[in-house]
Amino acid sequence: MIRGAFLLAGFGLAASAALWAAGYLQDPHAIDLSTRLAAPSAAHPLGTDHLGRDLATRLVWGAAPSLSVVAIVLAGGLGLGLLAGGLIALAPPPLGGGVEWLAKTTLAVPTLVTALVLSAIFGASILTVSTALLVTSWAPYALTIAVLFDRIRGEVYWQASEALGATLPSAVRRHMLPNAWPALGGLAGADAGRAVILVASLGFIGLSADTGQPEWGAMIHEYRMFLFTEPRLVLAPILACTLVTVLLHAILDRGSN
Amino acid sequence: MTAATAQLLGRLALSWLAVVAAAFVLVRLMPSDPVEVFLAHVNVRSGPEIVAAYRAQWGLDEPLAAQFLHWLGGFVTFDWGVSFETGRPVAADFAARLPYSAAIGFGGMVLAVTGGFALGFFAAHRPGGLADALSRGLAVAGQALPAFAAGLVLLWVLGVQLRWIDVFGGGSVERVLLPTLLVAFFSLGPMSRLTRAGFAEVKRSPYYRTALAKGRSQAGALWHHGRAAGVLTLVAGLAPELAWIIGGTAVAEIVFGVPGVSERVVQAVNHRDYAILQPYIALVALWVALVLQGARILRRTLDPRLP
Repeated sequence: MIRGAFLLAGFGLAASAALWAAGYLQDPHAIDLSTRLAAPSAAHPLGTDHLGRDLATRLVWGAAPSLSVVAIVLAGGLGLGLLAGGLIALAPPPLGGGVEWLAKTTLAVPTLVTALVLSAIFGASILTVSTALLVTSWAPYALTIAVLFDRIRGEVYWQASEALGATLPSAVRRHMLPNAWPALGGLAGADAGRAVILVASLGFIGLSADTGQPEWGAMIHEYRMFLFTEPRLVLAPILACTLVTVLLHAILDRGSN
Repeated sequence: MTAATAQLLGRLALSWLAVVAAAFVLVRLMPSDPVEVFLAHVNVRSGPEIVAAYRAQWGLDEPLAAQFLHWLGGFVTFDWGVSFETGRPVAADFAARLPYSAAIGFGGMVLAVTGGFALGFFAAHRPGGLADALSRGLAVAGQALPAFAAGLVLLWVLGVQLRWIDVFGGGSVERVLLPTLLVAFFSLGPMSRLTRAGFAEVKRSPYYRTALAKGRSQAGALWHHGRAAGVLTLVAGLAPELAWIIGGTAVAEIVFGVPGVSERVVQAVNHRDYAILQPYIALVALWVALVLQGARILRRTLDPRLP
């Protein structure tokens, strides 16, 4: 999964560089009313929308909110999960049991409802969406890691490393995490996909982080009246969403099969 | 039995109270003062004495614990307060909208469970076959496609390409049927995968092989000896799915313009109508707690070995 994350980062960098070179990181708000609803052409590979804005450029910019939420959620979920999983497995019973109860209860909390409530209270932002996802996604990591901790503590190499005087963090890094990657990668792949979809869903119902910025869900909402006349305007962001979800899943979830 | 029931009810009430109290504190943590928001909303010229009067009227000058008890008493007696935006009682508003949400949610779940169980059975019966591929495809699509996008595409295909339905002027059939199908579509894949896993386990067991050796057909043996295991796995996975259904109906209601509960809540969030939020959270928490406990009881009845 570490390799997957690096691969993802490298892929993102290369993609942005290529897009910049090809001129897609221009102003996504550039309005040109003389080319309204233009069909795909060399100048506009995906055509333009009802205000003459280039659809491809807006699609590229629309990736930013989704991908930043994915990064926050993966890093936060993994960190929180590791901490809570360690507590469940290693802390004395009242604390460990309490954290375990909390994790099992959290499994049933609906993400969209949490996101709605948090955006009502604190306003819609990338941080609100990430928090809603974090609140509901740390529990599976924690429970998986706790089970792994329990299993690994019976292994001879773990006891040997304890006998050799290895500190807990270094033992975790060296013996625990490599064993955990396949299971965690599967969870991370699913979480990354959920993050992309949730950002788009909130954008669609009008709760995107910044209504001025292009965002896939908000674009689908904005273009929905062209569904019948210019379906490409709606289908392009939908496909972008699906493609990114499947890609993230494929890259992060490599270890599990 | 009665002692167990009482203990169960006690646990249910306790977890519901914990969630509702946490939500109560969270809503009070919001950065803006509800009185200011309300006064700005109704466009009344604000002054310190007006603000103080409203604070007293809404009980916001009491200590937090007293406010909570006051609110709890009101909630239990269906006095859920008044919406800032419309000025109508929240309880009546929800009661009028609940049938739509319930119809979509339950209808979708019933479709998903029956369809998913059948699909899972045939997928396990012939791994790698048509049913298996279909169930896998549905599971992947459910994860990779946003629900609202699938709804829009459904509208486009049925309403524009095939002209089977009247998209926006439709009657109750269009209003309830399409969202129900959408909810079912997103739960069908996971349900069928779960059922398939339950049946697949049976296929590896010695009693299944014995049944085959005695001359039963593969499908007959799998159905006769495996359906209990299939149902049990399905019920285990059903509880979280039922808890999550609220999010699913929310999206379906918005895409198809159904006047359901979630649609109202999204409006409320957009207009910062806080009066709607607290009863909504309480209802969702009640639903989730009921579903989880109900599934636990059902699994214990089906399989007495479970703790």
